[in-house]
Amino acid sequence: MSQRSGLPFWPRHAFWQGVALTIVAYVLFDWGIPALRFVGIPSAPVPNSVVVEFMFIALIGIFMYVSENEARWAEFKQPIQSALVNRDKKWLRSSLLVVLPLFVGFMTFESTRPRVTADIQPRSIHPAPPTSITFRNKTIQLAGLENPLRKQGNLEDHMKEGRRVYYQNCLPCHGDLLDGKGHFGLGFSPTPLAFDGGNLPLLTESFVFWRVAKGGPGLPKEGTPWNSAMPVWEDFLTEDEIWSVIIFLYDQAGFKPRAWEAEGKEAAHE
Amino acid sequence: MWQTNLKVLTVGALVLGFFTMVAHIVPQQASEVPEVLTLGAGATPEMLAAAGEKIFSGAGGCTSCHGLGTRAPNLVTDERGAGPIGARCGKQEAGKDCKTYLWEALTAPAAFVVKGYQPIMLDQRRTLSVDQIWALVAYLESNGGEVTVTGQDIVDAQAAAGAPKPAAAPAGERIDAVAVLGEFGCSACHKLKGEGGEIGPAFDGMGGRLTKDYLREAIVDPKAKVAKGYEENKDMMPVAFGEQLTKEQLNALIDYLASLK
Amino acid sequence: MTDPLYLLQAAADTAGAYGRFPGIGARNAVWIAAQVHLMFAAFVLGVPMFAVVTELIGIVTKDYKYDKMSKEFTRLLVFAYSATALWGGVLLFFLTTLYPKFWGYMARLFGPSMWVYIGIFFFESFTLYLYYYGWDRWNHGRAKWGHWGLGVLLNVWGTTVMFIANGWLTFMMSPPAGVTAETLPEQIGLANALMNMTWMPINIHRLIGNAVFGGAVVAAYAGYRFLAAKTDEERAHYDWMGYVGNFIAISTFIVLPFAGYYLGREIYEYNQTMGITMMGGFMSWLWIVQAVLIGMLFLAANYYLWLGMGRIPGAERFVPYTKWMLLLLLLCWLVWATPHTMLASREEMAAMGGSSHPFLNVLGLMSAKNTAVNIMILTTFLSFLMYRRANVRPTVSWAKNGTLVQGAMFGLAAAVVLFYGVYGYFVESIVRIGFSVYQVAAVILCIVGVTVIDVLLGRGAQSRGEIRWGQMPDRSQYALFVLAITFTWLMGLMGFARSGIRQHWHVYEVMRDTSTYASTPGLGYAANMITACVVIFLSLVSVIFWLGGLAESAAHKPKPASGD
Repeated sequence: MSQRSGLPFWPRHAFWQGVALTIVAYVLFDWGIPALRFVGIPSAPVPNSVVVEFMFIALIGIFMYVSENEARWAEFKQPIQSALVNRDKKWLRSSLLVVLPLFVGFMTFESTRPRVTADIQPRSIHPAPPTSITFRNKTIQLAGLENPLRKQGNLEDHMKEGRRVYYQNCLPCHGDLLDGKGHFGLGFSPTPLAFDGGNLPLLTESFVFWRVAKGGPGLPKEGTPWNSAMPVWEDFLTEDEIWSVIIFLYDQAGFKPRAWEAEGKEAAHE
Repeated sequence: MWQTNLKVLTVGALVLGFFTMVAHIVPQQASEVPEVLTLGAGATPEMLAAAGEKIFSGAGGCTSCHGLGTRAPNLVTDERGAGPIGARCGKQEAGKDCKTYLWEALTAPAAFVVKGYQPIMLDQRRTLSVDQIWALVAYLESNGGEVTVTGQDIVDAQAAAGAPKPAAAPAGERIDAVAVLGEFGCSACHKLKGEGGEIGPAFDGMGGRLTKDYLREAIVDPKAKVAKGYEENKDMMPVAFGEQLTKEQLNALIDYLASLK
Repeated sequence: MTDPLYLLQAAADTAGAYGRFPGIGARNAVWIAAQVHLMFAAFVLGVPMFAVVTELIGIVTKDYKYDKMSKEFTRLLVFAYSATALWGGVLLFFLTTLYPKFWGYMARLFGPSMWVYIGIFFFESFTLYLYYYGWDRWNHGRAKWGHWGLGVLLNVWGTTVMFIANGWLTFMMSPPAGVTAETLPEQIGLANALMNMTWMPINIHRLIGNAVFGGAVVAAYAGYRFLAAKTDEERAHYDWMGYVGNFIAISTFIVLPFAGYYLGREIYEYNQTMGITMMGGFMSWLWIVQAVLIGMLFLAANYYLWLGMGRIPGAERFVPYTKWMLLLLLLCWLVWATPHTMLASREEMAAMGGSSHPFLNVLGLMSAKNTAVNIMILTTFLSFLMYRRANVRPTVSWAKNGTLVQGAMFGLAAAVVLFYGVYGYFVESIVRIGFSVYQVAAVILCIVGVTVIDVLLGRGAQSRGEIRWGQMPDRSQYALFVLAITFTWLMGLMGFARSGIRQHWHVYEVMRDTSTYASTPGLGYAANMITACVVIFLSLVSVIFWLGGLAESAAHKPKPASGD
């Protein structure tokens, strides 16, 4: 074995190294990442689906590690081979014969057992916006659209107006701190969007306008199944009120909206 | 050798299986086809009715008159105890089944006018294609009755029709604006010389209140500005006049309305 | 209000617009025919590139084994060529019978270019036969160069044919501005339609992709022959062939992401909605699947190189590093495969406070993924370098400094990549997009600089011992299969992405798909289709290889069979 590890508990044998690496990987993904919270990095438990994905990658990597040079591969295979053929390992073979089917059976049971929780609902959180929407019977072209209020009037006034709109309408769900944790927020699934996360700078203002104006019911098919409780704000707010609350949001969260790429290129395709 | 082949096959199957599995685990999102209807020989009654509903409440502008109970009969709700249109359409005109009756009602509305209403409706082929009209028929039938329209109706109708276009007035000929008002059923909603509906502002005295430019806009793009007191009815004014009127008709109409001081 | 327009067009579609196909349906029939045809086409375009390059190396280095390998491949081409034509015929007949209205439109628009296509196809076949059957006749002196010229000509024909067909399919994606549903095909300029906005990006992407594919298939062929070999001599030959194939595949593969990036940009510029559909809309999960595939490619390629070092004297000194490189590759793969929006249950979402993870969210963004892929490219390049240097003992006086400079270049490139990757989080996305150019530039400069130094360093160098060709564990050859299968599957997947972003259009926003198959299926369905296509393709290719083997054993009949 080429590797000489300083750790007292680190196995020298390639087979047990493989086993240990698998456990280490699992511990890292399932406990290590959430534990980052305790050192001040925002983190949370990793969803099961992602842990499974990561474990697949880790297992492929571990397989490559144990087989990537001849000596290690031979060493790795040796206990498996001996467990399969050696006479004195009969007890191991027999117990594996019992344990493995039981394990597979248990996994199958776990994955198919009826539960009270709702199924996982995959959806794309930022579906492709339509090119244009009808806002109170007025057609608004979304592609290439900038926030009109940024070019007219006083930005301070718009901010003030946006603040008023936010506190009168959005606060109960999206929260005082714009963290998506308003009084009602936790009652919904999906929970209201947190504006202090990384989402806002990825979106153009016209996208946010579309989402505010059309709300949960206006999501396209790919955004479903989506039980979003976001109301259709075009019924309650004017165009300018929405634009000003968007200005307020970006300002408060400290982000700049995503700019349109290649201006005027859309015009090339008419 | 066969051992090698088997190993190669196993590796191949494992790799392909792995990729396929990954693709099955991720969310299965299919792209949505916007409600579009294959209206041809293959159209099913459901498709036709669904398409018809969109036209009825959208582009067709039918709800401007139908459903209010005053200008035109209710269609999707009960009318004088006879039920919605699908339930009563077969009994309206002797010798005409539901389908034939509705087709006639849409393409030659003056041929049979329901008692108690004025002949203000227009031939819908002016604005709609034959398959759209058949879709409307199917939708109306589906309200209280059974859809009997088939894709073949559309094919036949398409073969029979070059849908008539509004005849352009020969150049130079003077156009009678009052006749235009009558042809397009304007007085159903607007009062002229004390007669007509009250859904839109009266024509009487309009020239004194409004400029010609405003009138032109009000006809071509009625939603741009709405007269005070008529906000609730702003969806009633058909939006397609800009396309249906010829240039001469439009000018004559504006001149006429502007003269009503 | 666009609906009436759709209705009108739908109305114009009469009963004759679509045909039926028993069992799998019309769409799947065309899907399989097109995909298998495309794979064969990539094969017959990629392998000649490979053959011409290796023949040239053979001429220049006077090393006979390159010439032998070139010829071996051209023989397979002859069979593969008819399979391509056959599947092209299947596709054509399927299109004319199953999508007659659409195909009628395309034929009215592209008619003349189709005639040219067939003409060039004829020349291409003829050139191929001359190239193969003339191999032994024109094998010396000036005639050999003439023969090589035929090979180049073969590539020219092939590329032209591909460019024409690319014009047809890119027209479906990005018809020129001003073309609408009412435009008659005759009113669209042919050149205009062919040279549309995504034409050149697809040309470049496919050209490079074909070279990769050619190399990968050659490597897999060699892998199989290696496993089946009965003599050490044979094993050595196919071991070497597998190495060359893999080298060509991976070195061209490294540039492929840049071509893909160019294509993606052009799609965005052509139509923002199409771009968003591709990257963020219903196809967003496709990129996670793609990340899994590409991670697999990088790992398999490196794995092959590391195993290969076992047969090079002097490579032992690099062995301790490989596990750290493996760790780095895995970390990059993890970053690349981290989804931005996660599949999570209600409780998990509540714990995360949304559907993106507060920490992993950071890794789900483009900045992190670009950084990861560039680091993977650098690591793979380092593996190559170690492989090259394994049995070389430089004799030039500046050897030590040269190696230090190479190391510094690696360090610098990695630093630039990391710096812009991290800095990308602090700037607007419009600026961040520009950063990927710096990252790519750093990586390419590093690759070029290090290679130049390495070539100079190798001048007059001593050998630490010959490479023991043939002494390669079987596992390495399976890595070559994994590479070839993954490339083929990836082609199918990206083909689905390219054609799927048109959604319910035959010709984007011009001609609507009004068939029952108008909606684009989800990834699982697509994956089943891709797997089916790959299985069909690989089975047929195996038959071709087997036929090639038959022809070979007939040619070398007198050779005594050993060890039977």
